[in-house]
Amino acid sequence: MKLGIVGKGGVGKTTLSALLAQVYAARGQRVLAIDTDSNPNLAHSLGLTAMQADEVPLLPRSVVVGNGDGALTPAQLVQQYGAVTPSSVTLLHAMRITQAGAG
Amino acid sequence: MRSSLGAAIDEEADVTLVDMEAGLEHLSRSGGTLAYADVLLVIMEPSRKSILTAGRTIVLADELGIPRVYGVGNKAQEGDEEFFREVCAEYNVPLAGIVPADQDVIEADRRGELLGDGAGAPVREAVVRIVDFVDHALMGVAGAQS
Repeated sequence: MKLGIVGKGGVGKTTLSALLAQVYAARGQRVLAIDTDSNPNLAHSLGLTAMQADEVPLLPRSVVVGNGDGALTPAQLVQQYGAVTPSSVTLLHAMRITQAGAG
Repeated sequence: MRSSLGAAIDEEADVTLVDMEAGLEHLSRSGGTLAYADVLLVIMEPSRKSILTAGRTIVLADELGIPRVYGVGNKAQEGDEEFFREVCAEYNVPLAGIVPADQDVIEADRRGELLGDGAGAPVREAVVRIVDFVDHALMGVAGAQS
């Protein structure tokens, strides 16, 4: 099940995203949380330190919109690009926003 | 063609949550699989600007064919419940939940710290009710995982 969280900047998307992810994880679900922000806000809300957040690699665009070079299995993609957070939610960092005001 | 990320979402997760900080407009142009969701939660606060953004997002979500679009009222103070109900009725989307304004969340934000385990209980309870709402909405949908 894929759940999107959207809203104007400052409404509390990131806080609610982190809390929602933690509820699903606490219920034993395997949870991926995907941040689409250039700032590591979701990483922080999921309990990573600033240093850990900086180390979460950005998913290459080729695997977001295509199949990359086909070299990675789904499990390998999560292992290579995901950061496991204290609540067991796995964080992926998907996009860098290049235009201001995109939100 | 399913993207590598799409395959990972399908096979490696029961629930995938996308914090659409980039905005649905931006994601629908360039985000591939990131723009599509089984359920979209449109977060609002009691401000006219957030409501206008929500209205535009709901229109776009319909155009993208997102099957379940729900409103969430955040930072609610006394009397705001009725406000959020009216907005959702106007936009013709169900209200998945209302999350109260909470001093613990405000202070954690101000300090740049995490919401502690014991803090923000009313907010945590509201979030659990939203998860229950979504689960309930997905119940009986073939193939849906909750």
